[in-house]
Amino acid sequence: MSTTIDPVAGAARAGGDPTGAFGIDWALIRRQIGGILRLEISKNLIGGRALILYVLAFAPVLLVSLWVVVPIDKGLGGPASGAAIFANIFPFYVRVSVYLSALLLFMSLYRAEILERSLHYYLLTPIRREVLTAGKYLSALIAMSLTFALSTALLFVLFCAPWGVGELMGYLFRGPGMGNLLAYVGIVILGCAGYGAVFLLAGQFFRNPLVPGLVLWVWELINFLLPPLLKKISVVHYLRSLYPIPVVEGPFAIIADPTPAWLSIPGLLVFTSLVLIAAGWRARRIEITYGGE
Amino acid sequence: MNEHAIATRPGVAATTQQIARADETVVFDNVSKFYGEVLGVNRINLTLTSGIIGLVGPNGSGKTTLMNLMTGLLRPTEGTIRVLGIGTDEPTRLFRLIGYCTQWDSFPRGVTGYELIYGLLRVHGYPHARSDELAWEALERVKLVDAAHRKVAGYSKGMRQRVRLAQALAHKPRVLVLDEPLNGLDPMARAEIIGVFQGWAAEGYHVIISSHILHEVDMIADQVILLSGGYVVAEGEIGGVRTDIEEHPIQVLIRCDKAPILASKLFEHDHVVEVTMHDDRDGLLVRTKDANRFYLALNELVLAHDIEMETITVADADVRAVYQYLIGTEGEATR
Repeated sequence: MSTTIDPVAGAARAGGDPTGAFGIDWALIRRQIGGILRLEISKNLIGGRALILYVLAFAPVLLVSLWVVVPIDKGLGGPASGAAIFANIFPFYVRVSVYLSALLLFMSLYRAEILERSLHYYLLTPIRREVLTAGKYLSALIAMSLTFALSTALLFVLFCAPWGVGELMGYLFRGPGMGNLLAYVGIVILGCAGYGAVFLLAGQFFRNPLVPGLVLWVWELINFLLPPLLKKISVVHYLRSLYPIPVVEGPFAIIADPTPAWLSIPGLLVFTSLVLIAAGWRARRIEITYGGE
Repeated sequence: MNEHAIATRPGVAATTQQIARADETVVFDNVSKFYGEVLGVNRINLTLTSGIIGLVGPNGSGKTTLMNLMTGLLRPTEGTIRVLGIGTDEPTRLFRLIGYCTQWDSFPRGVTGYELIYGLLRVHGYPHARSDELAWEALERVKLVDAAHRKVAGYSKGMRQRVRLAQALAHKPRVLVLDEPLNGLDPMARAEIIGVFQGWAAEGYHVIISSHILHEVDMIADQVILLSGGYVVAEGEIGGVRTDIEEHPIQVLIRCDKAPILASKLFEHDHVVEVTMHDDRDGLLVRTKDANRFYLALNELVLAHDIEMETITVADADVRAVYQYLIGTEGEATR
């Protein structure tokens, strides 16, 4: 059996460049994140975890497909009226499908590997825990964004489809349709990013993150009933401010001024970044005591 | 402690510290680890130089805790650990120098042997070509090339152990930490893996092996550290205990496909004191006075009768008796 040993240690041995800006070897970090994405994305897109993701993302698509094919009167408003129906259903889609998917997927990033006793493989590689956290988060964000961007686009198109292909194309490419569709896709991706960061952190802190996840879910569900100040302590409030088609939330809703897009988007991104920094900090303190889980 | 057993701790540690340079040693400086109120290890002061070092002790003695501390998977409650001069809270430097084969028989879901090794090398930061090369080299070393593209979940226990070894040594670390590395390996694989460890140690590298099997450590380690109840109770060269070990029969549990044949053939050897068949006739319990001769005989029988081994483990009860003989009442006198 061969016993050859590569005697050179350090980043150079791994093909790393000398340190770059801020004394950090960015090229090495890029490669390491690439390595995590390779391992994690397939995990998130194939297998049990992915099955739940697909059910939550595409069950609404299946339901709406039935609505499209059933020969009932869909009104005369054309694709714009279909888009309005989509707009009223979209908040529930975000609060149920997107929220629960993010809860299950991002919460599993650390927690599931602790339960499966496989997290130590990552922790035994020469990677900063913050980079590991960022890589895991990105992998789940990519998987979920791809799935839900497709699901959202299909839902939007299906709602606008019953009036014929010509009407649909006209609405999408010569009307406001495509802009609205892209806005909804963007909102869903922002939702994945915001909720994902929160659940990633929750998965590091709680042995059973489902409980805080469900408590937060109730908070997000009743957001429309909350006073304006409390509304702002939620992700869904900022997402709602970005809806391209205004939505009426029912007779009991407490109306609050929407936060302008120039504040909502950077606000959500800053919030996400702060939560991720906290998750990275928390990851540095993770110890492997599988027996205690 | 038995008077002709291994050297006591303070003298050896002091001498070693004087000789070894900090960037060539693994140093535990007054390290303690508590899990809540439960003691993991307490007041550990050790300086480990290159070569094969055996951490020996019964189950629950603190071997795995010590290894997890050394590899940063646990943080010490008190004290500091430096591996070749690097703190265990510096993963980016530490894990280029250290490889750890844990005792956890678990893997990420759905991966093949190759995907596991290659994927983790990519996380190390190696580019594709180098990762591929290192992965195949590691798989070759543990004789898993043929099974490389099979799912790890379908591997036998011995194969899973070997793929964990491959993962630990794939990046060619200078310090190899191995928690019960020979568990589940058949005699041929044990001999081959031991050869790898000895080769690495001969090249001046650190190989730190834990085992609850004194005989196993006796065969391969240059130095042993005896742990009991979270304390280091003795350390030094193992030569002195060899006779003591040999005088105490060890009890080996074997699971294989031809247990009755193996039992009858083992009975023909004078060093085998007792053989008991399991009820399912797929396993047997062997008591032997001479572990070295027993393992040699086992090797020959496995080859001669084409026996497929599932597991070989040493029963803990006998080992504990040997420890008690060597260190007195659980080493209390030396705490």
